[in-house]
Amino acid sequence: MKENAKNKIIVFLMGGILLILSLVCWFKPAKEYSDSERRALAKFPELSKETILSGRFMKDFETYTLDQFPMRDTFRGVKSFSTLYLFREKEINDLFIKDGYVIKAEYPLSQPMIDNAAKKFTSIYEKYLQGTDTNIFLSIVPDKNYFAGTNSGRLSMDYSKLASSLTEQLPQFQYLDLFDSLKLEDYYYTDTHWKQENLLSAAGILASGMGVPISTEYETKEVTEDFYGVYYGQLALPLKPDKIKYLTNSILESCVVTNYDTGMPVVTPMYDLSKATSKDPYELFLCGNSALVTIENPNALTSKELIVFRDSFGSSMVPLLATGYSKVTLVDIRYINSGMLGGFIKFKDQDVLFLYSTLVLNSSTSFK
Amino acid sequence: MLFSSIPFLYYFLPVVLILYFAVPSKLKNLVLLLSSLFFYGWGEPRYVIIMGIAIVAGYVFGRLIEAFRGKGLSKVFFILSLLSSVAMLGYFKYVDFFITNLNAVTGLSIPLLKIALPIGISFYTFQLLSYLVDVYRGTVPAQKNIINFGAYIAMFPQLIAGPIVRYSDIAAQLEQRTHSFEKCAYGINRFMIGLSKKILLANLLGELCDIFRASPDKSVLFFWLYAISFTLHIYFDFSGYSDMAIGLGKIFGFDFIENFNYPYISKSITEFWRRWHMSLGSWFRDYVYIPLGGNRVSKPRWFFNILVVWMLTGFWHGASWNFILWGLLYAAFLVIEKLFLGKYLDKASFLRHIYVMLIVMFGFVLFNATDVKEAVTYLGAMFGAGSYPLISGEFVYYLRSFGFILLLSVIGSTPLPKMVVTKLHASEKPVVSGIMSVAELLFPLVLLLLVTSYLVDGSFNPFLYFRF
Repeated sequence: MKENAKNKIIVFLMGGILLILSLVCWFKPAKEYSDSERRALAKFPELSKETILSGRFMKDFETYTLDQFPMRDTFRGVKSFSTLYLFREKEINDLFIKDGYVIKAEYPLSQPMIDNAAKKFTSIYEKYLQGTDTNIFLSIVPDKNYFAGTNSGRLSMDYSKLASSLTEQLPQFQYLDLFDSLKLEDYYYTDTHWKQENLLSAAGILASGMGVPISTEYETKEVTEDFYGVYYGQLALPLKPDKIKYLTNSILESCVVTNYDTGMPVVTPMYDLSKATSKDPYELFLCGNSALVTIENPNALTSKELIVFRDSFGSSMVPLLATGYSKVTLVDIRYINSGMLGGFIKFKDQDVLFLYSTLVLNSSTSFK
Repeated sequence: MLFSSIPFLYYFLPVVLILYFAVPSKLKNLVLLLSSLFFYGWGEPRYVIIMGIAIVAGYVFGRLIEAFRGKGLSKVFFILSLLSSVAMLGYFKYVDFFITNLNAVTGLSIPLLKIALPIGISFYTFQLLSYLVDVYRGTVPAQKNIINFGAYIAMFPQLIAGPIVRYSDIAAQLEQRTHSFEKCAYGINRFMIGLSKKILLANLLGELCDIFRASPDKSVLFFWLYAISFTLHIYFDFSGYSDMAIGLGKIFGFDFIENFNYPYISKSITEFWRRWHMSLGSWFRDYVYIPLGGNRVSKPRWFFNILVVWMLTGFWHGASWNFILWGLLYAAFLVIEKLFLGKYLDKASFLRHIYVMLIVMFGFVLFNATDVKEAVTYLGAMFGAGSYPLISGEFVYYLRSFGFILLLSVIGSTPLPKMVVTKLHASEKPVVSGIMSVAELLFPLVLLLLVTSYLVDGSFNPFLYFRF
């Protein structure tokens, strides 16, 4: 090809692409929300003398242009692909793929965060549990990196140090170890969480540790809609979606679930299938992230009550434990100030389980 | 505004290009000036005034120096112009450094002014100084048109990170320049190569440097990995910016001087400085070293001249002792090479590369340290001081994770890729030439889409040389 023709093609091709993308940038209506990233997108910043002179407008405008860029998810996917497969980096945005599982490289162990969690649990113990007849248990849910990262040449936190540090600081709590009862296959491919249908063994360990019988027979139901977990959007690669399955039986079907998020009791389903099409379908388990939820079980296998301090991993585990208890109260101290719990719960002789994932423990600033 | 940003690539640049090529020739410099002021004001709205003062002062002094040529007043205006330019640079960049040291020496506690450094002030001040000196010397006539002069000082392609374009090099182009598809296509390719060097290599290497700094698991080898990564990072960051500047200049019809010529293949420190930041090196040579007498003086005076030039070179990079020491490190090795090492280097073909790279690497560890103490700690740790283990889990992991990027960067810092492309280009095999033709057409487009994907999802994007 002649040089002159080649130069013309380069100029018109590049100029054309630049112009088209530029025009779309200028005139494309702004989106309010990114489903894949599960976050609100930046809006066009306020234009004023003050915002310009302070430089805030320019800073916010840059964020706006990134958030509103045409085909943003496609471009993010191109970056993920080239980072992992072209430049051969081990991870992108702290995420990596192993055997089809998207895994967050949770690293390193943050001792101050673990100490903070222990301090918070101790304060709850001293305020509500000390001197009562409650039985107190602690259990830790490993994140996926425990299975993929340890001894694989990847960076992974010192999980045994995390567990020993917590148990040493909480001698009043009886530790129930779940680490050996789980494997990577017990978690979703594209999400942080574990799969309820794989939790019978872990639930059995918790139940026997607390001395209650629980159901072992369930019907497994599958949600029709595909489940694109939280890591799917973060990684922005075309991965195969998960399927959410949930376990039920006659005992669970007779339970009454009440949510107190609005301050007033609202009866909700144990598994809210309408959430399957929401931004976070995992929220179909026990209303998702709620500050205070109770499960009353008229057909419980015992008359005992259980209080669970938990994060989102508890949402899919607790229904299995609920078969053994007449009443279960779930508390998420990320959404309710732990100092206010006395107004809602009377601590006397219940079993009290602190069930937290390593992800939340290693970043415990959200505890209130 | 950064070249490597979505607002620049998809908002600012297309509008400027359309305006620039739409207006007649006599208005092109006006478009360049106004767009450059907008570009500059985007990041530093208040400092557009400083830029305006620099332009007006430079223009007026240039005219006055020329108007009174041959008379005493010309010298007065020349000295005044130099003092005002240097004073402005000194005030914004160095005043806190001097206050800190004065406080340390005298025990006073004069409060620091904490003035934000106007972006690119070191670059445009040096351009201004070269103009004033050249007008005073009579090597160039003073610019009569303030629009043209303003366009020269503020021209956004090289405004904030060079190359330091001398007025004498582009005076004629400011008046009359040609635009062509050939220049434009070259400029596009050059810009995209620079942008890719910045986004795809420098930023990733910069991430590795940041990971190292934040690491709780440092080791001796991790310090070495950091030193290598930063050495490559600063090269791709700075040379990438120069490529973008030269490319943009070409699109607008200007021929800017080259700033880098594969410095990491140098066989001596003397050669390294002929290949690294060439526009700054030649500036100091022509406006400081030679006026001091250069090498046509006694040996002690010659070494003194070298010392002064390299101390100033270091100080130009930043108001901190580690920059001065960095400059003096090079002065020391330049003197040593001139005294005796040079003749031995000629005989040690491979060792001389290792020698150069070690000095350069140690220099950049010093350069990038927050202070001298940190530099000593880092350099010491590279040789086992500080009780660090030889190897750590993080070192192994990040070496594996960034290994391919490091390899690409090492290869990319040599002329090898260019040689391969040139060879393929010269091939007479129809298949090869056909593939090359298509590749050449798609190359800038693929790079544009790839860097856009990194920009859209990226937050790590600082330009290192902006702080100078």
